[in-house]
Amino acid sequence: MTYYNNAVITKRELLVRLIKLLNDDELFEKIDRIPLEMRPRTNSPIRCCVHKDRAVIKYKIMAMLGFNISDEEDELTPLKEYAQKAIEGHSLTGDFLTVVDEACSSCVQVNYTVSNLCQGCEGRPCQVNCPKDAITVINGKANIDHQKCVNCGLCQKACPFHAIAYLPVPCEESCPVKAIRKNAEGIEIIDFDKCIHCGKCMMACPFGAISEKSQILNLFYNIKHKEEKTIAMVAPAVLSQFKANSSQILKAIKAVGFSEVIEVAEGAKLTTQNETEELQERLSEGAPFMTTSCCPSYVALTRKHIPEIQSYVSHTPSPMVYTTRMIKERFPDHKVVFIGPCLAKRREAFESKNIDYVLTTEELGAIWGALKIDVLNMDDKSCVSNSVNAESRGYAASGGVTRAIQSVLAKDNNLATQQIDGLTKKSIKLLKTYPRKAPKASFIEVMACEGGCINGPVNLAPSNVSQQTLIKAMNELVTELA
Amino acid sequence: MTDKQTYKVQICCGTMCYIMGGAEIHLLNEKLPVELKERVSIEGIPCLGNCEDNAEKAHPCVLINGETMPKASIQKIINHLLSTIH
Repeated sequence: MTYYNNAVITKRELLVRLIKLLNDDELFEKIDRIPLEMRPRTNSPIRCCVHKDRAVIKYKIMAMLGFNISDEEDELTPLKEYAQKAIEGHSLTGDFLTVVDEACSSCVQVNYTVSNLCQGCEGRPCQVNCPKDAITVINGKANIDHQKCVNCGLCQKACPFHAIAYLPVPCEESCPVKAIRKNAEGIEIIDFDKCIHCGKCMMACPFGAISEKSQILNLFYNIKHKEEKTIAMVAPAVLSQFKANSSQILKAIKAVGFSEVIEVAEGAKLTTQNETEELQERLSEGAPFMTTSCCPSYVALTRKHIPEIQSYVSHTPSPMVYTTRMIKERFPDHKVVFIGPCLAKRREAFESKNIDYVLTTEELGAIWGALKIDVLNMDDKSCVSNSVNAESRGYAASGGVTRAIQSVLAKDNNLATQQIDGLTKKSIKLLKTYPRKAPKASFIEVMACEGGCINGPVNLAPSNVSQQTLIKAMNELVTELA
Repeated sequence: MTDKQTYKVQICCGTMCYIMGGAEIHLLNEKLPVELKERVSIEGIPCLGNCEDNAEKAHPCVLINGETMPKASIQKIINHLLSTIH
């Protein structure tokens, strides 16, 4: 669960500004002014000074244009040049996160710090109990020697004045696979041999220092200026993100300039069917269990961190892959964009080669904002394909895949199911035990995000709201049939 | 408190308001203090058009009994409602 914050607002404002400029044909002229406009001298600076704030904005834009911050060769390269390359579709590398080093506040190396609540008492339990002899009292206040401290926390427990505070490093603590850590300068570095693109570090950093690399400019330019026929594939989670009915949302997406809008739920139907058959086959052959494979972050996890479990992961392609196949058959010359709440889908699409772009729900919102498209102004006459069913839209929430599978099984099936609702250090530990000691359940649904895709990292609505809206989007289909 | 005052909160669902914090305001009902529970009706409405002239300063926008509150947040709305409660 992320709390809504100003770093999120900055990101969205930047996206809207970029699209507005591109839409008004003023991008090259004005992109280098964005840092000045967003961080004027008259405002009190967020960081040390206005210049730092502006540099942060500049590098956040650079990431939005799809570049690694570490790729910078010349600090004087204007944003204009990066924008030009972004529009031309410079080749993406397969890593979709980048640390904006200018924004990274290089949080503490040592998590414990003595606050000014320290009374300098006679007992000095912090000093007495420190196993590493790391505490000295200087001018009547305890002081922790960072070279000696091992973050054991005994001093904090021992202090009767609660004078020792625990200071976390939010990105490192949120990463379930220890893929992010500091370099010698204290700036965070992501290890992409370990990273599963779950996006948790990006959501956790209150400095907004971890950015995703986007394709938004390239995509929007090609639709608008090259009139490239591009089909939007819409993940069911997108329907949970706006206060409108599904038809209005789908029409508002079409209004951006896509040639067709197709729900990923169409492909999900095939995933359900084939995954059920695969499950029955595997179980009849004596396999103890099978896990889902639709969450790309989980699939990356199995590949990079739990290779022993790979043979238990379903081979059935994800709804996105099936939907792409259907689209490519019907419209072989059109480009395809996946719109969803997921960072890991950027990676999945990159590997699949068939999907040209990934756009996040957040970016879709920014495009609508810039183009003044409002979902509630769309007419609500149904435009939903009759090959979409409620169970397929249900994939977007935890438990949805399980319910879809059960809907095609016989009513009296006694399939034992289990849900791993969110990849955390703890749930990963549990998954690691399964190849050695099979779980009780024979079907395991794994979602990297707690609550499922409706709570993905690049969404717009808070999870309680999106849960209700998704149920509404599913019920729409049930009532239409009745 | 014999005749209980009721309030109508309308949240702008225009895209800019929605993405700049308006989505969060839909959690208002869950955050209402006891004295306001059951007394506030909440609904989403299409863009109010306030953002036309002064975009950055307006969103997210809500209407409270027909009166505009720019740059709204759940806490701001609750404080406003509590200040007018009798």
